[in-house]
Amino acid sequence: MTLIRINGLRKSFQGREVIKGLDFSLETGKCIALLGPNGAGKTTTLKMLSGLMKPTGGEIAFSDAKKGEDIRHLIGYLPQYPVFYDWMTGLEFLNYVGKLAGLCSKEAKMRSLELLSLVGIDEAKNRRVGKYSGGMKQRLGIAQALIHRPKLLMLDEPVSALDPFGRREVLELLEGLKNSTTILFSTHILSDAEEVCDHILFLHDGTIVESGSMNELRDRHQQAKIDFIFRENPTEFLSIFTESNLTKSINSEGNKVSVLVDDVPAARNHFLKGISERNWPLTKFEISSMTLEDIFMKVVGK
Amino acid sequence: MSQWFVLLQKEILEMWRNLKWVWVPITFILLGVKDPISSYYMPQIIKAMGGLPKGAVFKLPPPTAVEIFVKGMGQFNTIGVLIMVLTTMGVIAAERKSGVAAMILVKPVSYTAFITSKWAGSLLLMLFSFFMGSIATWYYTGILFKWIPMADFFGSFLLYAVWFVVAISITVFFSSVLLAPGAAGFISLAVVGLIGILSSLLSKWMERSPAQLADYANQLLAGQSLPDQTWISLFISFVLIIVLLIGSIFIFGKKELAS
Repeated sequence: MTLIRINGLRKSFQGREVIKGLDFSLETGKCIALLGPNGAGKTTTLKMLSGLMKPTGGEIAFSDAKKGEDIRHLIGYLPQYPVFYDWMTGLEFLNYVGKLAGLCSKEAKMRSLELLSLVGIDEAKNRRVGKYSGGMKQRLGIAQALIHRPKLLMLDEPVSALDPFGRREVLELLEGLKNSTTILFSTHILSDAEEVCDHILFLHDGTIVESGSMNELRDRHQQAKIDFIFRENPTEFLSIFTESNLTKSINSEGNKVSVLVDDVPAARNHFLKGISERNWPLTKFEISSMTLEDIFMKVVGK
Repeated sequence: MSQWFVLLQKEILEMWRNLKWVWVPITFILLGVKDPISSYYMPQIIKAMGGLPKGAVFKLPPPTAVEIFVKGMGQFNTIGVLIMVLTTMGVIAAERKSGVAAMILVKPVSYTAFITSKWAGSLLLMLFSFFMGSIATWYYTGILFKWIPMADFFGSFLLYAVWFVVAISITVFFSSVLLAPGAAGFISLAVVGLIGILSSLLSKWMERSPAQLADYANQLLAGQSLPDQTWISLFISFVLIIVLLIGSIFIFGKKELAS
């Protein structure tokens, strides 16, 4: 079932078009990652969906709301840099937004306590938010977005500001939330998207350059990838890959050379033969399928 | 309605946590007792300063209680208004600038409730402080000079208060229209000051201005009856307050909360 449908969404700032016509829809119960490099328009898109920004053109239609109806009770939103009233405690803030969202005092209190333990800042509930660390604020931000059980949870870079432990915990939290709500989160970290999401939207330069489920994307971009790792920097060994017509594209970083090919057996034989003839210091050789990162690099055209 | 009270409760609690409920009333009380006390001790003060030169004749009629009380109320109309504008100027602008307004307004919170609750919170603080201050003036004038009739005190308090509500509404308006609290404060002071100056300079044409209410309050204290324009001034004040509030809500709603 479609939860929200976006048609021709555009946004300009002082004549500069940042979002150049987005069309997509989100299915109920899915976890969707909005992926893209910095400046692609992820935050702007989320701000328009949350109603904080008015689109220059296009429309956003929720299946649960009529046109022009207030959709704010349907969404939970965590901005990239959440801000709170520093003089409130974590519990007070959740209580406050809970009551504003229409919960009665008793309900708000119960829900606040429940969420505080869900996001793991239970022991800090009576501390002023001003004294919270960045990671705790991020967790409180997720809790406040969930307080009124929104149909759509939108998180803007929820894990980018966290340390590895915090990132792991928040990703696990999202994994657990997947069953109860639709999640749309933006990130520029591909492995995070790969880990929790079942659907990907690639945003680049204000347009969606690719979208689909992980499996669809893999199928569509199915190209075998062969990684060669050398003991030293392989600049002088590149010739064998660039000269061969078996190579579709080549990407080298550090001591690693990744080659995309269509015909795996032929390429394997050709390259390995060449390498052993020349006696090059190959330390690792691996045939793998494309990761999200490879697909990303490919569609963005780098 | 219940949402409005939740919002107002938060305003009141915030002013309690940052101690505005303590220092604003205390400032107003100090402001209020300054004139009665300094007038009462003026002869002693002059003596302590070395007195008057020999032969100098210093004949100043002793000030009346009404004069002192009017002077005391005048303090609220100048320094008091300054304090009111400075404490109110960030009420919306600062929350929008920090981004917390966006956090609150992605929740199903009505813009009207958001603005009017902040307006009401500021009014409660200011009217409470002004009441404490003016009652202090009244009390000290009473014990040191002569008691002003209770009814005159309340009448003038109410007239002044209406003008102060106009001043606060102007500040709330600029706080919701402008992003920088400082700019909101500066422009509000300029506008409030301009209304005050124009009203006293061009009193003939501005006799229905809200700022004239202070003047009418002083006439009331002097034992005169209120001129007919008082009612028109009051009516214009109420209209202005409503227009400012509607304007604040409308312009705030048009603005994008996120940049």
